[in-house]
Amino acid sequence: MAKEKEKILGMDGDKFRMFMGKYGIGVILVLMMVFISFMEPSFRSASNMINVATQVSINAMIAYGMCLAITTEGIDLSVGAQLALVSCILGQLISNKGWSIPLAILAAVLVSTLWGVINGLLISKFNMFPFVVTLSTQLIIRGLAQLISGGQAIPITDAAFKRIYSTKIAAVPFPILVLILVTVLMYLLLHWTKLGRYIFAVGDNMNAAIASGVSVIKTKTAVYAISGFLAGIAGVIFTAKTASAQSNIGIGYETDAVAACVLGGTSFAGGVATIPGVLMGIFIIGFIYNGMNLIGIDSYYQSMTKGAVIIGAVLLDMVMNKKTN
Amino acid sequence: MKRKMLSVLLCAALVVVMATGCGGSDKKEEGGKSSKGETSEVVGDVNGDGKIMCGYISKNIVDPFHAPINDYAKKTFDALKKDGTIDDWTGILDGETDANKQIDRADECIAKNCDYVIILPAEASSSDAAVTKLTDAGIKVIVVNSKTDSTDDVAMAYVGPDDVKAGEMLAQWVIDNVSDGGKYAHCQGVIGNSAQIQRGEGIENLMKDNDKFESVGDFPCEWQADKAANVATDMMNQYGDDLKAIICDNDDMSSAAQKACNDAGRSDIVCVGVDGNENPLQMVKDGEMGATVLQDGPAQVEGAIDLIKKALKGEETEKEVMIPFVLITKDNVDEYLK
Repeated sequence: MAKEKEKILGMDGDKFRMFMGKYGIGVILVLMMVFISFMEPSFRSASNMINVATQVSINAMIAYGMCLAITTEGIDLSVGAQLALVSCILGQLISNKGWSIPLAILAAVLVSTLWGVINGLLISKFNMFPFVVTLSTQLIIRGLAQLISGGQAIPITDAAFKRIYSTKIAAVPFPILVLILVTVLMYLLLHWTKLGRYIFAVGDNMNAAIASGVSVIKTKTAVYAISGFLAGIAGVIFTAKTASAQSNIGIGYETDAVAACVLGGTSFAGGVATIPGVLMGIFIIGFIYNGMNLIGIDSYYQSMTKGAVIIGAVLLDMVMNKKTN
Repeated sequence: MKRKMLSVLLCAALVVVMATGCGGSDKKEEGGKSSKGETSEVVGDVNGDGKIMCGYISKNIVDPFHAPINDYAKKTFDALKKDGTIDDWTGILDGETDANKQIDRADECIAKNCDYVIILPAEASSSDAAVTKLTDAGIKVIVVNSKTDSTDDVAMAYVGPDDVKAGEMLAQWVIDNVSDGGKYAHCQGVIGNSAQIQRGEGIENLMKDNDKFESVGDFPCEWQADKAANVATDMMNQYGDDLKAIICDNDDMSSAAQKACNDAGRSDIVCVGVDGNENPLQMVKDGEMGATVLQDGPAQVEGAIDLIKKALKGEETEKEVMIPFVLITKDNVDEYLK
């Protein structure tokens, strides 16, 4: 059995090497799943897997946007605040102004996308550091959220709105369907479209990209607009989940998103990213939380474990890549 | 060579995952069917799987107020597990003061087939989804410390402090200790939090009919000490000697405010707050602050766990248990300062 496998791998050595270089993180994901199911059998139940996939959908939306930003040598720190803004807009429009749900969602996501465009323009047109721009807009956006909500929590009692998180289509919760759809779209966008190639080009070597006629302004603005849009979607799911609009939500959510990107092999030097990689990174983060809680690891050790797992995973990934290259 | 080994390992791992995955789901279904057929023999076994499983979703694991509560819960649940009253518990699940995370932790309690779950909500309205999710799954939920919106309707019980009473105790202390009356400031917790609303209400109850005292304003400080200290310095600047007292929704804030006043040579300003954290207690002991109102957090969890114990014995349980506050002054501080 083992010999046969070796032979197959011997034949497809190059392909295997490329696969490992790109998706070595998958090995870690699988090892982690084996380890957790060994420690705690209830982990591998179908319902728990569905739970985790539903839970990570919020971080996934943010992480995909973050992945694009990092690929262009940037970062989007405004996403956590975007969640709060979207939540507060939804709360005001649905609960206090009586707007219809689709219209309110459209308005909220439009606003978050607009903030993405503003981020993108400031970064590309004025050549400002993405870190500084999004750090500042984050403050403005959260301030706006507080202004809109008056600092109060606005309960959203509309059952139809809550169903965005809880409804199931053929036993699959709606957030998972959104996650699948967005993953496919992001994969196509990054790996199959002109914009995707431009994003890689800008991140890889901006001067070369400019020389080849790529519009950096358009590309970067598109990147941050997409990040804003996805943060908007995440905000809608978040708000439906908690059934309440609040301006203090989403604090620190950018760190989990960055962690997922890094785990997924997104390079801070720019120009390197894969959507399946990021997806695996997202699930690794989700499994860390879920697995440690199910096993019953003391919560005091959890954040330490999380940090160690991320460093370990990235290190292992780099070592494996070196060997296979 | 290493590459080959790695690939074999990967394949093996994949197979194992698939195998365990299939096996796991099969077993789960069988277990579910058989347990539904039988009537449970264990008293108080809510889901009828023959095991008593308890869950504990904390508000967070970092606040000075919540640390001793979590410690108490851990000690008590571990003891219950040891003496066989319960089969197991989830350990302290970290709510990260985030309703979203608390809902995820609720999912995990459901996955672990909990019978009883104690939850300390992060937010009154948004953490409610965690409570309803658990009760929808048939789990008995005891809400501790502050109520969520549907606690009265769906939870098995609520164990917590009477925050209106706490607010009144704060106001009473100021009335008793500032004999001539004067201006006072009020530092609030996170707006919309039930403790903030009710403590404010308690303060209002006594202060609105008292002509001697005048409020210079309510300042949202989000429970944070440094913000309260800023309010203290700002108000001293603005009102000078007319400022007589600063009432704070918690005593992290009141101790910081008192410290700011003392540093400015205004130790006559009476600062008081709720919780009974270590730092404020120490200040009371050292005579740097007059009093603080202790919220006995561990007693709240104790009340909640007592309800579970009662339910396991098949006894009737109360729907609401109020844990009283204690006014801490120099006279009794040693009892509470460890």
